[in-house]
Amino acid sequence: MALRSELVAEVKNLNHSYDGKKWVLKDVSFHVKKGEVFGLLGRNGAGKSTLIKILTTLISGTEGQISILGMDPARDGPAIRRRIGVVQQGESFEFTSVEGNFDIYGMLWDVPKKERIERRERLIKLFELDDVRKKRAWDLSGGQKRKVQVARELMHDSDILFLDEPTVGLDILMRRSVLDFIKGEVKKGMTVVFTTHNLEEADYLCDRVAVIETGKILAMDTVDNLKQFYGKKRTVEVTVGKDEAGPFFKQLMEGLPAGDVFKPGENGSALIITESPRQVLQKIIEVSKDGGVQVDWLNVRKNTLEDVFLDTLAEEKK
Amino acid sequence: MRVSSPNILKLMWRNLKVNTDPGTLLFLVGLPAMYLIFFGYGFQSFAQTGANPKEVLKFMAPGIAAFQAVIAGQVAGGMLWSDKRWGMLAQMLVGPFTRLEYLMGIMLTSVVLGLAGAGIMFAVAYLLIGATTITVAGIVLILGAALVGSILFGSLTLILSAFIKSSTAYNSITILILFVVNFASTVFYPFSSSLPLPLQYLFIINPLTYVANTVRDGYLTTYGFGDVTNLFLLLVGTVILLFVAIWAYRRSDISFV
Repeated sequence: MALRSELVAEVKNLNHSYDGKKWVLKDVSFHVKKGEVFGLLGRNGAGKSTLIKILTTLISGTEGQISILGMDPARDGPAIRRRIGVVQQGESFEFTSVEGNFDIYGMLWDVPKKERIERRERLIKLFELDDVRKKRAWDLSGGQKRKVQVARELMHDSDILFLDEPTVGLDILMRRSVLDFIKGEVKKGMTVVFTTHNLEEADYLCDRVAVIETGKILAMDTVDNLKQFYGKKRTVEVTVGKDEAGPFFKQLMEGLPAGDVFKPGENGSALIITESPRQVLQKIIEVSKDGGVQVDWLNVRKNTLEDVFLDTLAEEKK
Repeated sequence: MRVSSPNILKLMWRNLKVNTDPGTLLFLVGLPAMYLIFFGYGFQSFAQTGANPKEVLKFMAPGIAAFQAVIAGQVAGGMLWSDKRWGMLAQMLVGPFTRLEYLMGIMLTSVVLGLAGAGIMFAVAYLLIGATTITVAGIVLILGAALVGSILFGSLTLILSAFIKSSTAYNSITILILFVVNFASTVFYPFSSSLPLPLQYLFIINPLTYVANTVRDGYLTTYGFGDVTNLFLLLVGTVILLFVAIWAYRRSDISFV
């Protein structure tokens, strides 16, 4: 399949089933442009990792067309793999030290010894792994292991870096520094395909996002466009006393305009995504008066990516 | 499927680096050396009074060298199993290698370990019983049997590790199978028609018997046409098992944790 020059990955009508009975990917189509960060956003089990496995040639899709860097994964697997980097969701380490993991990886990728050492030292410093460099990778904490896995993939050059939930287990500071590092690599020309269920991360890092649920792409656009598209909607935040929240929200939900999305939160809070915020506010005041419930917090705001995500899922359910 | 020699060599080097920790080295070298020392001297007490006290050691040394093929094969299966268990198999397969190269990398590691192990056992034997005259033909037979044996037992354990997912099951099954392979063979004692018939059959169908006999004939310069036949039979068995191992490995689930 011919690839448009500005595209590094193109997927058309991809379907996949592991057992021939249940489809885990359904008619998935998208493309990734050179130098962009493309996010696959979805809940656990949505099909993100399966999609990454297919794109990285680990498994073959059951039906559909795929082109990676202008090549067919079914025919040109080794040539594609030579030009991509993959951080898989599960842990994977050599049974040796942190340094050893970097060295072996560099050797396998034909990085010359001098450059290998330079890269190793730069990455160990950047990912703050100096204190544990002699430790066996398996003895590290969850966050440190994840750092090694992400850093190790940067021992070699890649045209596309596939990151399957790379920040799982990282603390806030390290998460931000990993995301900033990825942003830096993208500026240098790398393309990143990034899966996450963390909406803030997708918002921070991705140029375009595909929302995926039960194997289907429900929405796909730039983060800004998605927000704008759903921008006519507003999110109403409301908090009442914890003890009164049950009956209050039950009565409120019964009176909400059709199509509004209600998402209960913790400690008596809830979000309502609506096209008619004025109507929702009136309903909240009405229900609170009727039940003698004091509203502790009431706010109307523009949509975040999380709201877009919730709304997309709610529409899919309908 | 394309196969590249440099890739296989790189993978072999990686396997050696990862698997040469002190524990594995002790298993590779220490255990067979102890077999040779303890059994070699222990069985001597069965020998008739006045017999050469080094005869049993001389018989057992090539057997233990042949036994290294089993040890190397066991390490090969362990490599695939632990790469699957610890996520490195999936990671390697999204790297610049083909699946077949990965498998051949393990096989080559098994061969290197089998040959090196056999060499070390002959060195230990030299310390215990002194120099022995070996001919070029003898060396060729020893190398051939050790090489083919390492691939054969490597294939056998790869088949097991392709299917078995729990470490307990893998360890139990390999220990059981390899116990039978090791002790129903001519590694430690000669074949005898006085053995119970089922045991005789086990000895005869056991490939380690042929590896041990060939290595022993090469070491003691007692070889003949039978050893060439032994090698040929081993080669046929190895090719069959290798194809089964490749098939089992290709159809195995690579992404389980």
